Amino acid sequence: MLLDYDRLGWLRGALLAFTGLVAAFLLLPVVFIVLLSFGSSRWLAFPPPGWTLKWYEELFAEPAWLEAALTSARIATMATVLAVVIGLMASFALVRGKFRGRDAVRGLLLTPMVLPVVVFAIAIYAFFLRIGLGGTTAGFVIAHTVLALPFAIIPISAALEGFDKSIEDAAIVCGASPFEAKLRVTLPSIKIGIFSAAIFAFLASWDEVVVAIFMASPTLQTLPVKIWGSLRQDLSPVIAAASSLLVLLTLSLMIVTALIRRKLST
Amino acid sequence: MTEPFLSIRNLRKTFGSFVAVHDVTIDIPKGEFLTFLGPSGSGKSTTLYAIAGFQDPTSGDVLLEGRSLLSVPSHKRNIGMVFQRYTLFQHLTVAENVAFPLRVRRRPDAEVNRKVAEMLSLVRLEGFGGRYPGALSGGQQQRVALARALAYDPPILLMDEPLSALDKKLREEIQAEIRRIHRETGVTILYVTHDQDEALHLSDRIALFRDGRIAQIGTGEDLYLRPACEFVASFIGNSNFLPAEHLQTTDGAATIRLADGSIVSGVKATQEFGQGQKTRLMVRPEAFRLRPGPATAGLAVEFIDAAFFGERRRVVARTSAGQEIDVRPPSDMANDHDETAQQSGQVFFDPAAAFLFPALQTT
Ligand SMILES: Nc1ncnc2c1ncn2[C@@H]1O[C@H](COP(=O)(O)OP(=O)(O)O)[C@@H](O)[C@H]1O
Ligand SMILES: [Mg+2]
Repeated sequence: MLLDYDRLGWLRGALLAFTGLVAAFLLLPVVFIVLLSFGSSRWLAFPPPGWTLKWYEELFAEPAWLEAALTSARIATMATVLAVVIGLMASFALVRGKFRGRDAVRGLLLTPMVLPVVVFAIAIYAFFLRIGLGGTTAGFVIAHTVLALPFAIIPISAALEGFDKSIEDAAIVCGASPFEAKLRVTLPSIKIGIFSAAIFAFLASWDEVVVAIFMASPTLQTLPVKIWGSLRQDLSPVIAAASSLLVLLTLSLMIVTALIRRKLST
Repeated sequence: MTEPFLSIRNLRKTFGSFVAVHDVTIDIPKGEFLTFLGPSGSGKSTTLYAIAGFQDPTSGDVLLEGRSLLSVPSHKRNIGMVFQRYTLFQHLTVAENVAFPLRVRRRPDAEVNRKVAEMLSLVRLEGFGGRYPGALSGGQQQRVALARALAYDPPILLMDEPLSALDKKLREEIQAEIRRIHRETGVTILYVTHDQDEALHLSDRIALFRDGRIAQIGTGEDLYLRPACEFVASFIGNSNFLPAEHLQTTDGAATIRLADGSIVSGVKATQEFGQGQKTRLMVRPEAFRLRPGPATAGLAVEFIDAAFFGERRRVVARTSAGQEIDVRPPSDMANDHDETAQQSGQVFFDPAAAFLFPALQTT
């Protein structure tokens, strides 16, 4: 191979340094936020003059933060369920179906991933206002489902492509109805794809801010919207605390994912 | 005549303008082991899938004990099937795989457990029930698939090249198992293969497919000893085809003139021929002898290459017309003289073991 790591010589050191730099560039801001959330300075001075948990106390004392987190979780969960169910059905049609315009349908379903989010947000905002879904949970969930759908379709389709249809046929000759065969044989066989779809879909909704800002109302705010809103009012370390918790949650979700994936694939 | 057990009537299947199966009609008695043999793409699987219900025939019918199966969905046909590819359910253990058809039929636990044990012992995999398919060899996986397909006592078992992914030794081993299982269960088996040895080893009868049609159906002996056409003769066993001119036929015994001018009488005419018609004479390599017998015809040849294989010699010879032929005479223990050591000589065959086919068949 042209670029064999073992034969790079001194370049190897350079490569390591560069990789380290990129990683630091990506991770340091997060580390700073976490550090600042424990710092005693009201003005986010660094290095912090002392250490404290009072920002977390303030955070938990204000019910709006908790409520925003719960709203985020609720909307993300509903969007995930919908995206996975629709993604599953869409994947069967896209992978197994032979109909005219199949590629066009696939392209359409994946557009939310490439369309500038702001464009999508404005369009759906205007549309939902007109049909009375503006500022409702239903509208919020639908908007996030559309955004999450590509993230569900891609891993599920990939898993389904890799699944030999003969196995489903075997279940059918064994006496299972086509639906039962899918439920008892095909779905368990593509469970890793479905699981990945759920995680990606959840994250796509959980930390989404642009569409959320348009969908939100004073009584319906997700965590990213709340953070964004608070930032504009004042730069309080409480935001750092909220952000740290968000990071912690995402991180734990990813660790749990890795563990479950490992278990599923054995 | 009594109703045949399984009957395929004028089955036809087209994909767009392409005709995969032309017009296949077969009656299969209960308990028969019938093999669909033929080159790849000849319509064997398509015919099998029409019986399983995965392909709707364009026209024709499939009848089981006189009743059409076509309106019955696959999962209600109660047919067993083993596929070419490995189709075990990877997330279930071997025992759960075998139990699957019984579970979907909501059979009681006691019966399921008894049947699973019985099936695993039938395929000689006792003690493998708790394993997952991923931990089994290819041969073991296909045996589990066989156990799963037989667990619900289906009247018909379909097998689509189940051994083609296995190596030769394993294949022969499992062929023997399949024969035994057929004997022990009495199930009617329809088996697809492109391997003639496998077909000859396993089957009661063989249906030889060619381009979506059945070229001939009969026992292995029928196909080898009484081929209906040149295709059958060349597909089953080995064969030499010598150009010949038909002179006359009486009672199915034809007289012909070979390319070197020699006249041979008493060859088997497979159909009616006109006088002077161009034909091809088929002689199997193993029908040749190196010494004349009571009624043999001789063919002057040059010996090009010869090798000794114990039970027989394998000789490459060239006729005076310049055609290379394959000659495999059995060794003669009573006479150790090697005629092929000479540059040229004669090979002999019994005209009654040679078949006359029309020339210029599209192959
Ligand atoms: N679903 C299909 N669409 C189009 N052509 C097909 C399809 N299935 C089979 N064929 C064609 O029909 C012919 C017979 O196929 P098949 O029955 O699988 O042959 P065999 O099993 O004898 O190898 C082949 O030429 C194959 O390409
Ligand atoms: Mg086939």
